[in-house]
Amino acid sequence: MQYKWGEVKVGEIHLGVQLQDVLFNHLCPPRPPAASYSTLLLASSFHFVSGYKIIVKKWNLGHNAATATVNALRERLKQKRRLLLDTDVAAQARLQGRTALSFGPTDFVCCRTLQGHTAKVYSLDWTTERNRIVSASQDGRLIVWNVLTSQKTHVIKLPCAWVRTCAFSPSGQSVACGGLDSICFIFNLNSPSDRDGNLPVSRMLSGHKGYVSSCQFVPDEDSHLITSSGDQTCVLWDVTTGQRISVFGGEFPSGHTADVLSISINGSNSKMFVSGSCDATAQLWDTRNASRAVQTYHGHAGDVNTVKFFPDGQRFGTGSDDGTCRLFDMRTGHELQVYHQQHGNNDIPLVTAIAFSISGRLLFAGYSNGDCYVWDTLVAKVVVNLGSLQNSHEGRITCCGLSADGTALCTGSWDRNLKIWAFGGHRSVV
Amino acid sequence: MKGFLSSMLPVGAPVLVKEDNIEYSFAMEYNGPPVSYDIPRAVPIDIKRIPTAAVVAPSSVSDKVSLPVVQPLLARDLLNEKLSKELIRGSDVSPTSVIAFEPPRRDGYSCRLSDELSNSGTLRFSNGHDGSCDLSEVIDDGSGASGFLNSLDERSCDCELSGGIGSSGTLGFSNSHDDSNDLSGSLGVVGSSNDCKESLDFVDDINPLDWSSIESVPCLHFLSSEISSCNGEDANDAPPCHANRTSVVTFVDIESSGTIHEEGSSDKAEVNKEKIGPITKGRKGSCYRCYKGNRFTEKEVCIVCNAKYCSNCVLRAMGSMPEGRKCVTCIGIPIDESKRGNLGKCSRMLKRLLSQLEIQQIMNAEKLSEANQLQPELIYVNGKQLCQEELVLLQSCPNPPKKLKPGRYWYDKVSGLWGKEGQKPSRIITAELKAGGPIMQNASNGNAGILINNREITKVEVRMLQMAGVQCAGKPHFWVDADGSYQEEGQKNMKGHIWDKSGTKLFCALLSLPVPCKASNTSQEDVNNLVNRVVPDYFGQRALQKLLLAGYKGSGTSTIFKQAKMLYKSIPFSEDERENIKLMIQSNVYRYLAILLEGRERFEEESLAEVTKKLTYDQSGTLGNGNESETVYSIGPRLKVFSDWLLKVMVSGNLEAIFPAATREYAPLVGELWKDAAIQATYNRRSELQMLPTIASYFLERVVEISRTDYEPSNMDILYAEGITSSNGLACMDFSFPQSAYGSNPDTADEHDPLLRYQLIRVHARSLGENCKWLEMFEDVRLVIFCVALSDYDQFCDDGNGVATNKMLASRRLFESIVTHHNFNQMDFLLILNKLDLLEQKIEQVPLTVCDWFNDFDPLISRNRSNNNSIHNNPSLAQQASYYIAVKFKRLFSSLTGRKLYVSVVNGLDPDSIDLALHYASEVLKWDDEKAYFSISEYSIYSTEASFDSP
Repeated sequence: MQYKWGEVKVGEIHLGVQLQDVLFNHLCPPRPPAASYSTLLLASSFHFVSGYKIIVKKWNLGHNAATATVNALRERLKQKRRLLLDTDVAAQARLQGRTALSFGPTDFVCCRTLQGHTAKVYSLDWTTERNRIVSASQDGRLIVWNVLTSQKTHVIKLPCAWVRTCAFSPSGQSVACGGLDSICFIFNLNSPSDRDGNLPVSRMLSGHKGYVSSCQFVPDEDSHLITSSGDQTCVLWDVTTGQRISVFGGEFPSGHTADVLSISINGSNSKMFVSGSCDATAQLWDTRNASRAVQTYHGHAGDVNTVKFFPDGQRFGTGSDDGTCRLFDMRTGHELQVYHQQHGNNDIPLVTAIAFSISGRLLFAGYSNGDCYVWDTLVAKVVVNLGSLQNSHEGRITCCGLSADGTALCTGSWDRNLKIWAFGGHRSVV
Repeated sequence: MKGFLSSMLPVGAPVLVKEDNIEYSFAMEYNGPPVSYDIPRAVPIDIKRIPTAAVVAPSSVSDKVSLPVVQPLLARDLLNEKLSKELIRGSDVSPTSVIAFEPPRRDGYSCRLSDELSNSGTLRFSNGHDGSCDLSEVIDDGSGASGFLNSLDERSCDCELSGGIGSSGTLGFSNSHDDSNDLSGSLGVVGSSNDCKESLDFVDDINPLDWSSIESVPCLHFLSSEISSCNGEDANDAPPCHANRTSVVTFVDIESSGTIHEEGSSDKAEVNKEKIGPITKGRKGSCYRCYKGNRFTEKEVCIVCNAKYCSNCVLRAMGSMPEGRKCVTCIGIPIDESKRGNLGKCSRMLKRLLSQLEIQQIMNAEKLSEANQLQPELIYVNGKQLCQEELVLLQSCPNPPKKLKPGRYWYDKVSGLWGKEGQKPSRIITAELKAGGPIMQNASNGNAGILINNREITKVEVRMLQMAGVQCAGKPHFWVDADGSYQEEGQKNMKGHIWDKSGTKLFCALLSLPVPCKASNTSQEDVNNLVNRVVPDYFGQRALQKLLLAGYKGSGTSTIFKQAKMLYKSIPFSEDERENIKLMIQSNVYRYLAILLEGRERFEEESLAEVTKKLTYDQSGTLGNGNESETVYSIGPRLKVFSDWLLKVMVSGNLEAIFPAATREYAPLVGELWKDAAIQATYNRRSELQMLPTIASYFLERVVEISRTDYEPSNMDILYAEGITSSNGLACMDFSFPQSAYGSNPDTADEHDPLLRYQLIRVHARSLGENCKWLEMFEDVRLVIFCVALSDYDQFCDDGNGVATNKMLASRRLFESIVTHHNFNQMDFLLILNKLDLLEQKIEQVPLTVCDWFNDFDPLISRNRSNNNSIHNNPSLAQQASYYIAVKFKRLFSSLTGRKLYVSVVNGLDPDSIDLALHYASEVLKWDDEKAYFSISEYSIYSTEASFDSP
């Protein structure tokens, strides 16, 4: 408890409730490192050295009182948020008389099954221009697929079999992957393989203190990569040097307070990215300012497993352990819509992966029970369940992604297969 | 009919010829929430009313529609023509329609049905070619009959056959399949008879007009099964077909031979059938999928079922080829042995279709995938079927038999001679391999009367021996070693060396007898040791037993891991690892220093406050005393700068980033700092610094040495260091127990099969602590080793909410969450109670009851503690405490899971106790394997019972 929590600059501070609010807003949602956090909760009097400095001292009262206060404040915020949430997209759409899209059972078809992994598939990523996919599986291999022929072009044996994520670089020249060994590996697909036929690691990005849960290259920049990790941080890397450019969260007083599980970079403004975490929040970050999150989005009641930017870059979707997908607005900071399908009370499937169609009208959400719902984002209705179609996955869906041109959806599952889904029907323009 | 059936079935199998009224229960009762959609309902049907369908003019069909029609027999040409004519006459079905039904009662109904069917057929056609629709895929599967195999292959083909026939009651079905020589033959039809029944009910229920809109799989199965069955049906009626009965006969032969295991037999049957049956009737050599082309068009062949596909179809039919060139339906099935030579040899057609890289991957997969490897069951050595391990041993030895094919071989273990059964030796392979049974005297079918290593040799060999100058008069019995030295049986002295004479080898070549390979004289000890050899990847994966090592932070999992590395690895840490560990130790030392400095600041502040308090209290007028800001804890300005810098680096969290530059720059300063009185004074109060781990003093006392750049961590330092890598992520190591480990006891030494390899996976508590998000990745783990530090009972840590929790309770919470994780609900757990040495030191001072969980600890000896040292039989207090904690955990475990927890008490710094614990872990696995045979508790050295039950 001797950890002294530096100096926090806050704007103009007055004692009293306002101070508490400031304190709360700045300090509570993101958890500072364990020691300072507890010190903080133990802190009682705020000692003003100058107009801008607070030095946290030891609390005189019991810390129970402090936690109670924080919880009360948290509850108040929650209520406030609920109050502000007067309508959602679906209600608006209903007012305008919009109806859900309708699809026949043959409109979505599984046109390819990519077999070759010998264990659960955990992640996939499409290239931007060519029709290739990289997938990561627990058999300790990355496979690069040619989707058109459904053949493998590369099989990369990984140093650590417990891989969680993989990503294609924007140029399609290299792939990145990360897993439980806390290191992000970069492989150059053009480099010659060694004697055993393995592709050599071209770069190791080490520095995370927890498992690497997700990684994505910054669009149009082969040299920058953002990873998220179980150490509660996201990191922007310079791939060419292997150095960290900036660390988001973690030791800084603002950031996630639990494992970060997923990130998504804004397609239209690659400086912005959003992260989802086990603390049931999503946070919006600006890569130019690592010190604090731009915005924190509350709403989910469980771990946020996956985040994905809406195609227009103004919204983003999340999928969570509470079985819902949500759509958040980046500018207002509000929740726009909850996508929730009623199930029996006890067995709510978790949302494990989401993807938006090019227009954003469709939201593909993979669930832990092997379902893959296609939501109409406008009216919040399930239009098709890919899990009930022919040739669907037999295990939990772990990842899904849309090809760059939007013509195909790829889903990966615990049943070791990847499947490519395409629109197979004829439909007039709505 | 019955007679025919019984001839088909293995002897003794009951022939079930049942009528109606059989109860079918295929499915479990549904307990879930009510579903919103309509459930298709299966109504029991009257079998007599099943509409039967017949195929019309397959030749016309194959042109227009890529329908999965079972190809009729060669001899059925006439019949088909006749049939189609009949059909056209009988019902108004157009010639292009695929299927016509011949129901006895519902004429109109079936006609409509078939119309619908033909519609869907054409639809499929268009889709199938643009490659975006998968409807055709499914139907293809069904018709290919191997689609049915999917549902079939887990069950024994045998009982399926009889069951299918018995329950269907329509013997026509099963009888018919023997005549249809396509793949969809026996297995397909029999397998489908169930489906067929279900789906037929389906048809009864629904409006025929809705037919095409229903896309459910059973429906499609119904379709194809109908096709195949009725195909057979009409074939059955035609006498010429019986000429092709042979295929059935083979099938039964293999089935009843019974030596080959179930799955193999069905596969083989399939292949055999395939081989025997003539290729598709209408167009010999056409593509199996689109039925186009002739025998001259280039085609790719499935390495399992011999199906041939043209360049348009091959990618569709073979999909992503995870095991090389196999039809999608053949994946996982062993290959046709005659094609083994072609493995990994790419055809021109594929080269044209696919890119270089893709070809490379396919060929790699073809050569390396497990299903394509030689089946050990098909190889007999000295009359004994091989098992997987023996085959691997045989193939990976320095001198393996060349081009091993299924068959019967003899192997002379002493000399390494190898040959086909009943033939002269063909090769000299590595001797002393543990493969196959003992050699038989007539193994090479020799008649020379001379025995070599108990094998009667052939005439050719005798000539060779004579050439080599061996005295062969009097039919002696020789004993030949691997190096060629021979002696007569029953005599001690070496008589000579076969290969000594220069001409022998030449002569052997003339007689086409084997000569020893140059590389054969390797050391014999490790021949049977798989660990030191490169084993095939697919096999290595299977033989690996995974142990997951987890525990709360500070429980010593990394110490155990490092101990295991030192115990079982010849080079425990590579140069890189050592370098990393060195940096880690150094940065840790800096961290400890920073903690000390932080403490110093606090102490200084406190003592200053005290001083001022005292001053104000004293109220003495000595104000101008400059001494008041000086306490024991004050340091000089230079050190102050360093201290501030270090603390700042600590706060910013990138302590690692400053290494190794920091060591160069600050090493002297660190030494100075350490010697400073203020730091020493702080260090003496280290018990008040809770952030400072106990291990810190080990390093801090040698801080000067450690902070130097040329510091080389010793094994002890590595062991003491916190963590394994700087990232402290997952670490894993493969190991196997050295055989000498338990050398004293031959039984246990034998038990530790060198083939058994273990993988110790150590995960870091940090990521586990939050919520076991990725435990699901460890479902294939055999045993979870959970580590608890015994000395934790009086220590506190921050649980993340700012509340200080007892570390033992935190440990328990983590234990609970792992044990109850749904992935591990059948997992064995081994609890390692670590840090016994610390407990011994501590327990005398701090009672165990400090921890709430242990408040009923009531040590026996506490009453007569005075003489507990003199009595050797009595366990010490620490031992009692550890037993007590073990029992606590056991009870917790059994209340959570109802199973038994294995416990081992160790001291992480003592390699022997770790060795023992890991051996215990391996034994737990073995018990698990042998659970069926033994009761566990009887065979355990360690008591798994709660022997120290406290009252």
